Amino acid sequence: MDTHDSQHAGISTARVEAGMRPAAAVTSRPGGGGQLGAWVLMAPALVVLLVMTVVPAVYLLYSSFRSESLLGGSGSFVGLQNYRDAVSDPGQRHALGITVAFVVAAVVVETVLGLLLAVPLAAQSRSNNIAVTVMLLPFAVTPVVSALITRELLNPNYGWIDYFMGLVGLPSHVEWLSNPTTAWIAVLGLDVWQWTPFVALILMAGLQSLPQDPVEAAALDGAGPWQTFRYITLPMLTPFLAIAVVLRTIQAFKTFDSFKVLTGGGPGTSTEILNLNIYRVALQSFRTGAAAAVAILFLILLTLLVPVLLRVVGRGTDPEEA
Amino acid sequence: MVLTACTPGTGNSSNTANAKPAQLHMLYATAEADAAAVQALVPQFKQKLGVDLVIDTQPYDALQQKVFSEFASGSSFYDIVIVDTPWAPALVGKLEPLSKYLADPKLNDVAKTDVADFIPKVFYDTAVYRADSPIAHYPDSTTKPDPSAITGKGFDVYGLPIQANALVTAYRKDLFADPKNQAAFQQKYGRPLTVPTTLDEYQQVATFFTRPQEKLYGTTVMAGVGDWSTDDFKSLLAANGGNGQLVGDNLSLDFNSPAGVQALTYYRNQISSGTVPPGSTAASWDEAASSFDSGLTAMTQNYHALALDPKVKGQIGYAVVPKGTGVGPHFGTWMLSINSKSQNKEWAYRAITWLTAAEQQLAMTKNQLHPSRVSVYTSVESQASDPAVADFYKVLGQSLAVGVGRARLTNYTEVSHAIAVAVNNAASGKQTPQAALDGAAQEVRRVLTTAGYKVPGS
Repeated sequence: MDTHDSQHAGISTARVEAGMRPAAAVTSRPGGGGQLGAWVLMAPALVVLLVMTVVPAVYLLYSSFRSESLLGGSGSFVGLQNYRDAVSDPGQRHALGITVAFVVAAVVVETVLGLLLAVPLAAQSRSNNIAVTVMLLPFAVTPVVSALITRELLNPNYGWIDYFMGLVGLPSHVEWLSNPTTAWIAVLGLDVWQWTPFVALILMAGLQSLPQDPVEAAALDGAGPWQTFRYITLPMLTPFLAIAVVLRTIQAFKTFDSFKVLTGGGPGTSTEILNLNIYRVALQSFRTGAAAAVAILFLILLTLLVPVLLRVVGRGTDPEEA
Repeated sequence: MVLTACTPGTGNSSNTANAKPAQLHMLYATAEADAAAVQALVPQFKQKLGVDLVIDTQPYDALQQKVFSEFASGSSFYDIVIVDTPWAPALVGKLEPLSKYLADPKLNDVAKTDVADFIPKVFYDTAVYRADSPIAHYPDSTTKPDPSAITGKGFDVYGLPIQANALVTAYRKDLFADPKNQAAFQQKYGRPLTVPTTLDEYQQVATFFTRPQEKLYGTTVMAGVGDWSTDDFKSLLAANGGNGQLVGDNLSLDFNSPAGVQALTYYRNQISSGTVPPGSTAASWDEAASSFDSGLTAMTQNYHALALDPKVKGQIGYAVVPKGTGVGPHFGTWMLSINSKSQNKEWAYRAITWLTAAEQQLAMTKNQLHPSRVSVYTSVESQASDPAVADFYKVLGQSLAVGVGRARLTNYTEVSHAIAVAVNNAASGKQTPQAALDGAAQEVRRVLTTAGYKVPGS
């Protein structure tokens, strides 16, 4: 695919031609007065950014080296002890493994299902508009509410899910939340139900913005629907897939409500994700130092993961790599 | 104003703590501590004290975070704060000690404070702490509370108990009274069908009523991972003669003991014998309550207010949880405490004495408050028009008198979680009781150590 095609494909990689300058550079005046003005204009936003993100982040880092609790007391510098505790705790490592497994499974399933939903719904028609509205409903429900309702629906004694499974000849009286495998199906199922529409929405927007010329050209060349999708549409859709995967990955790492309400980390510790532990340490025991260390490690993991994801999923988005 | 002239505390010295405020702000729980019962008395409060009581309510998790953040920021906004027992060890330094207020007759002019009327175990477990050692329990928790004796032993009073919850047994009176059931039970077990008072009787009766084909099970357990399974276990631990507080004041891991193994073995047997409904190893107190309310079980043990579905057409009776070699249903009580940063401490004190006084607690029972005073239980038992209500309060009062609270640890939630995982593993048969408790002991030792406690043998 040449540069011309990639522009047609709606790839939005911004490129600054040689000799062009950003607007701020064009308007700057000798002596730096323009830059000063720009800084003055940006100052309120920068102060807000500093206060709302940088200061808490620095304080989080500071706390992670101290044995602090929210109510003060005998907080003291403990060096890397909080980090050593976090890394050496087998429960913490188990929780990290569980968290990563959940994120991978949820994002893969949601991406595939989101794509399967987006392709037929991308064509703009009245029926599709209605279908899209219905599809977005789960996305609009507060996660804790959907988890509470799901818990009731899964109750093996009076839940609707077992009832309807029985009606269609499937095994009924499944103790969904008592068994690790079915508990996993429950939390994953809830996440997929809730967040697949989000992925589908991004991919629909992508599909609707794709140029039709390459598709029409492929049809003239005798390509079938699958070949057109596989070799024309899907490559052009890759940037949108990358956005969806990265956003969902970050969101999935932050999942908390559904696990807390549905399983509480059980049975045993089979669904014990990292966030449940951070919540207990930070917001129930208020050991802010220990929780900060785990949160910093989590942040480092995410910071390293996102560029890798963008590189892997977004491969081919840069026309020069195509 | 006539109202002001009639109200107490007028004409006192002009220092800030004594000056009568226009409002007192109170941070309170929602359903967990029966906010409706307190809110219903706000007009009378205004009439009696001449002060507006502004109550902000929050559900449990949000309340805990709000309470801790208020104290962490040193805010004086809330004069009165409701405190749950697991939070108190961390908060004691932020709460106003009340012994000097209790001893001052001028400050006890709006209600009869009568500390000796509080249920001793409830009072000591909820409100009596040593500021220099919050882990310590008051050494004699059965004597009538006496502020001078309390201070004499180095302790102080950090609040007044208002809502007392305890694990009680509820059973279907109609099923127990059914002649067919009575005859069948007599024939099968050679004794009359009575409300079980021992662990063995309880399991026997549960087995008798377990009839899955009739959609009826004997009882419930709350074996899902959560506070509920720890609370189930600690009650059974106490019933087997162990320390129901789980961890001793000297940080001994008392739950990992022969009594603990016996308790978990009994718990596992309840599940493996099929006397509890399907899904019990993931159940919380909500599922246990709804199972009983919907007529699925003949008995239950819970803290919830229970009400049978009208379609069930049955009646509820109550009993103290069964005993083994000991007894000690889990209990936990909310207390009203004064923010040490409050600008209105003396009026806040007057407010909590009035709100927790016998007269007000009795009035609050109309909204299902669980009182903390002996005299209120006596009154409500004799005055309740509904025999089921009288029965419930009688049993609740008896249960609170013998109940066992929690270990006083600043990270009790983490300890409770580690034990809940062990209880769940043993309940589902994934681990033997001993292996589960060994694992929990290892984890509890770790979380206590990381929180700065020095656990013996570490």
